[in-house]
Amino acid sequence: MQTGHRGSFDTHCRRWRRPRKRLRSAGSLLVALQLLIAALPGVWPTRVWASAPQLAGLPAAWRDDRGQPFDLRTMRGHAVVLTMAYATCHRVCPVTMRRLQQMQREFDRRGTSAEFLVIGYDPDHDDAQAWRQYRETRHLMRDNWHFLIGTRTAVEQTARQLGFEFWKYDEHVMHDTRILYFDERGRLVETRQAAGYETTPR
Amino acid sequence: MGTTTSRRVTPGRAWAGVLLAACLGHTLVTYAAAGDSDRIAALEHKLDQSLQLIRQLSARVHDLEAQVAQAPPAAAKPTSPGAAAAAPATAAAAPPGTPAATQPGAAAATAPDTAQRLARVEQTVTEMAASAGQHAEDLGMPMHGFADVGVGNHNAEFHQYQGADVGELDFFLTPRLGSRTRALFELNFEVGSDGAVGVDLERAQIGYQFSDSATVWLGRFHTPYGYYNTAFHHGQQIATSLRRPRFIEFEDHGGIMPAHTVGAWLTGSQRVGDDKVTYDVFIGNSQRIQGGILDMNNAGNTHGSTIVGGNLGMLMSGALDGLKVGVDVFQTRILDEDAPSPAPATRVRSYGVYAAYDTDAWEDIAEFHVFDNDDLTGHTGTHRSDAGFVQMGYRAGRYTPYARYERGAFQQSDHFFAAQINGESYYRTALGLRFDVDLVSSLKLELADTHLTDRVTGSYDEALLQYAIRF
Repeated sequence: MQTGHRGSFDTHCRRWRRPRKRLRSAGSLLVALQLLIAALPGVWPTRVWASAPQLAGLPAAWRDDRGQPFDLRTMRGHAVVLTMAYATCHRVCPVTMRRLQQMQREFDRRGTSAEFLVIGYDPDHDDAQAWRQYRETRHLMRDNWHFLIGTRTAVEQTARQLGFEFWKYDEHVMHDTRILYFDERGRLVETRQAAGYETTPR
Repeated sequence: MGTTTSRRVTPGRAWAGVLLAACLGHTLVTYAAAGDSDRIAALEHKLDQSLQLIRQLSARVHDLEAQVAQAPPAAAKPTSPGAAAAAPATAAAAPPGTPAATQPGAAAATAPDTAQRLARVEQTVTEMAASAGQHAEDLGMPMHGFADVGVGNHNAEFHQYQGADVGELDFFLTPRLGSRTRALFELNFEVGSDGAVGVDLERAQIGYQFSDSATVWLGRFHTPYGYYNTAFHHGQQIATSLRRPRFIEFEDHGGIMPAHTVGAWLTGSQRVGDDKVTYDVFIGNSQRIQGGILDMNNAGNTHGSTIVGGNLGMLMSGALDGLKVGVDVFQTRILDEDAPSPAPATRVRSYGVYAAYDTDAWEDIAEFHVFDNDDLTGHTGTHRSDAGFVQMGYRAGRYTPYARYERGAFQQSDHFFAAQINGESYYRTALGLRFDVDLVSSLKLELADTHLTDRVTGSYDEALLQYAIRF
């Protein structure tokens, strides 16, 4: 029985030899094609560098913590420090705010100026009053600090364009401590993480 | 043999042909590429020039709009007060020859309708860009969640075990369904009291947001009593403490309150002056006791009874910013399905009061519940029990030390508590320290002393360490 099995197995294998041979030829062709493709210097897609985020490319219409419309385009001509936060964050955002205050002190010491923009992650919960309260209790009342509220679409689009990764866990927003610095022409020139104080030139 | 010979020769020829073709192809292509490289460089240069031109034109459009917006006849586009002052500075700061340095008079001469047209075009482009990005984002659902592991002289949830333990792996899914439709699923892999890993759909709720102040959810949700049960969920990395207070643990981890409800939940908040009022109203399947544990009747129940409740809270402002106070109540009818038929039924009525002070420095929570239960079948009358906890935490940078005292005084003549494995009275004191390793992980150490005071009398000390992450 075993021999019989072996015999039938061999027969079965033989039956499949021809197709395998044909496949080998096809395989050779494929290898050849691959060689040709690899040899072509212009076949690989040219690496496209994503253009650096610019303030001008962000949604323009926001509201500030007084409930007034705020047009982001009016920031042109000013250096801008931008981050995102949510008002009931007590663990991560305070670190970012302290870092922003530190940057503000540094600007003051150098005699330079910048506009500080804090965009709210969670427009569903953080309205103008919440941000107003936030500013008052944390003494962040300087005129060049703007706490902005947008539509959920605008917030998500902005976060996507600027690389702010976040997700919501009920009323908690999971996020990082990213801080961006734009020059007077609205070009992103530096990215920082407030928590680790790492600086990444764009 | 002939066949064999043929097999050997044919591939050899094929390979030779392939190599020849490859060499030939490579030579030709390299030759052609040398000619193309100049052309590509020229094209890249042209592309760069085009991009530069686009940027300049965009800048020009923005400047014109900003200047038109400042001109009195065309002051339709509002700006922030700070920004209004910034616009002249824009021109001043811009180098000569750039669009921003254009004289204001020239902008004033621009017709208002031109400005409006420009605004419309820009709005359209912005919407298109947003729409394109939105579609790209919608192609997949991001996967997020939490996990934790621990070690201790006892297991944090099941104190009969000791050593290292796997806490849970919690996947949190929030598919994007539209501007008002909401969905939330929490799939939890956790170790049960038998030491085996089980999977639980902890939350499965689909909702519709009518407005900022009203969202209705259907499905399985965390019963909105007190503060802790809806402020903290299964992701332990979020919570300051290593574990939940014992009496409001989840049902399969020893909790004696119905932490989950399957039903409908209306929730929202509304500003009242500077303060904010929060509210919850819910109705769902009444729970049952099965295997000494509360079960939320995911499939419905056989007798049609319900749990009904509500929660009313107020978020303070001004000097009391960060303080939330509230009251809650629920009523349900619990069947003990472990007992011989007819199953004993208890009408459970809970009244709660809570306060939470959550600021950048402090996280203090206090919660107290009174149970006014009625034996509906055993004729043992009414029983009153209570439970509560106070927890104080102080955020000092990456370290958050905390302390908690909790206590549950449960009448053992009350069938609702007597039938539950963890329904005995107790009190526990705990001291802990949370250390944020980074933004996504934390180490927690807790020393606790638990006293059991009625069903069995005794105590045990715990030293627990937990490593919790989110992803």
